[in-house]
Amino acid sequence: MALAPLFAMAARNLGRHPRRTGLTVTAIAVGLAALIFLWGFSDGLHSNLVRNLQDTIVGSIDIHPKGFFQRPEITKGIVDPKHIENALEEAGVERWTRRLVGFALAAGPRHTSGMVLMGVEPETEGRVTTLGDKVTIGRFLQADDDYQCVIGAGSARSLGVGIGDTLVLMANDRFGTLATEEFTVVGIATGGELGIDSGMFITTVKALQEMLEIHGQVSNYTLRVPESRLEPVYSALREKLCVERFDVLRWYDMYPMIHEWIILSDGFHLVFLSVVLLIVLGGVLNTVLLSMLERTREFGILMALGVQRSQLALMVAVESLLIGIIGVVVGATLGIALVMVSARVGIDLSALVGETRGFYVDPIIRTRLDLQHLWITMLGMLLVSLLAALYPAWRATRLAPVEAIRHG
Amino acid sequence: MSDTIIEVKDVYKCFWVGDVPFPALNGVDVEVKRGQFMVLAGRSGSGKSTLLNVIGGLELADRGTVKVCGRDFNETPADERTRFRLRNIGFVFQAYNLIGVLNAMENVAFVCQLQGKENSECMDTAKHWLTEVGLGKLLDRRPHQLSGGQQQRVAVARALAMNPALVLADEPTANLDSSTGRELIELMTRLNEDFETTFLISSHDPAVLAAGSPVIHLEDGRLLSTDPNRPPPQPPQAACAIPQRNWGQRFGAWITGKS
Repeated sequence: MALAPLFAMAARNLGRHPRRTGLTVTAIAVGLAALIFLWGFSDGLHSNLVRNLQDTIVGSIDIHPKGFFQRPEITKGIVDPKHIENALEEAGVERWTRRLVGFALAAGPRHTSGMVLMGVEPETEGRVTTLGDKVTIGRFLQADDDYQCVIGAGSARSLGVGIGDTLVLMANDRFGTLATEEFTVVGIATGGELGIDSGMFITTVKALQEMLEIHGQVSNYTLRVPESRLEPVYSALREKLCVERFDVLRWYDMYPMIHEWIILSDGFHLVFLSVVLLIVLGGVLNTVLLSMLERTREFGILMALGVQRSQLALMVAVESLLIGIIGVVVGATLGIALVMVSARVGIDLSALVGETRGFYVDPIIRTRLDLQHLWITMLGMLLVSLLAALYPAWRATRLAPVEAIRHG
Repeated sequence: MSDTIIEVKDVYKCFWVGDVPFPALNGVDVEVKRGQFMVLAGRSGSGKSTLLNVIGGLELADRGTVKVCGRDFNETPADERTRFRLRNIGFVFQAYNLIGVLNAMENVAFVCQLQGKENSECMDTAKHWLTEVGLGKLLDRRPHQLSGGQQQRVAVARALAMNPALVLADEPTANLDSSTGRELIELMTRLNEDFETTFLISSHDPAVLAAGSPVIHLEDGRLLSTDPNRPPPQPPQAACAIPQRNWGQRFGAWITGKS
């Protein structure tokens, strides 16, 4: 039996009470647009957080000797870097840099302080992080620097040094003997992230290798890949490198708290989505049920004319689904437009987050459209529209033609 | 092919108000031949509408046999009866009962489309029947833009557009003024003569009774008869079997305190 006339009638039925249909569609559209925007804001915030974390110092993936992340010992580094560089080339990684990381004491004219020691290769560091941009006084390190260093503004204050002053660095060399060397401060970094401001001593890999007599050794390979390539590159590297000798860690393996916070935040959005969907379910159910009850007599007539109960139920479901589709189309258009505009313009939260400025997240949030989240939200709305039709449709199947015709 | 379109034998149908039975049909026998224009006369409450509903398969008789075009409705499941109606029985209701969101042409074409015919064919059919009933110039009018008489003509066109073996009309003139009612009856008799469609019409309108051939009379759920040997009607308690209630109905009765 043909369904087309019933579908056409279902579409016309939406126009019987345009105000009621309009209000229901508006409720769905506004709810959906708000959900898309909120999730877009949240995704933008997460992106910002992850990008800042990676940009500042962490990168996307870090390769170091087994157990180094838990117990960094600068003299127990990677002795055959070529092996790793071949693996990087095979995995198609172009943006990478090498580092030497450990601990040392730095003595200034006023004070002596324990510091995180980080040797970098200035010519490649900029391809992976924006560490150089954090220098607010003086300059960042250059390839031909010898015993120059960059320290955080907090460290400079406590050690009592400024640009052009010297610091004495003390660390154990590969024989366990205390090695000392003088370094000239060429840059002071400010940013507030990851303790750069206080406690970090940045110099060149070359200077540290010389000072600690670990020629040719580095402790870390820090990589930068797009987020979409993170997992494939990670898998490829783990396959190519001996996991007994090396740790290959993604940014979230090193900083799981941030990753878990993002998962938790997405979970919160799912809960929020469920609450909104429940409200929408109530609204659509109310509209469809009212519409169905008002037309009980007409349903009786249709049955007398030869429309099956199952077809009536289908017609009710189609009406509900049509309301959902219109609401979703309008809401998605509105929501996507809001996200796009906010992504371009940015939402400035400076007034709200002034105190925590520089803590991983920029105060200007640019929303981001995550297609998976968009689909989940849209499909949720459509599903709810269909669910809302179940009870009215079931009631339609229970109607007896004669009683329905006598109704109203 | 048999000439008998409707065969109703010893049919009982009861309605219950609480525990009090009301036999709407109390042993009715009716036979309608192909091409007849039969009128079912009787006062309100005599059982005319119930008999039409039972013949149309909208509800089942409690007892007895109802056959339409040889199909025994007591042996036919609800969905199959609906399909059968779609192919064989046209309805004209007292209150017109057109679909409000469809215009005259769409209302008539609707049943044809439900039968699975091509849309263009249905539109042609609808146009043909609306022209037949004199509404060829009002095809695009919605029901609320038509008078009562015009709406009833659309309903007649809708009943005929499905090419039925039988048209059941339940007091079709009741909501019309006498002149419009007469016009409608003339239309229906003409269609009966021209297309040999069988009509069974319930009414107590004298104009309709005058047009009927034959006219049968219902009273208290029984056909009036001059046959002296005919048994008397059964008393309500005998005519109506106590209905079986499911647990939900029993629970509802217990909650509401109504037995």
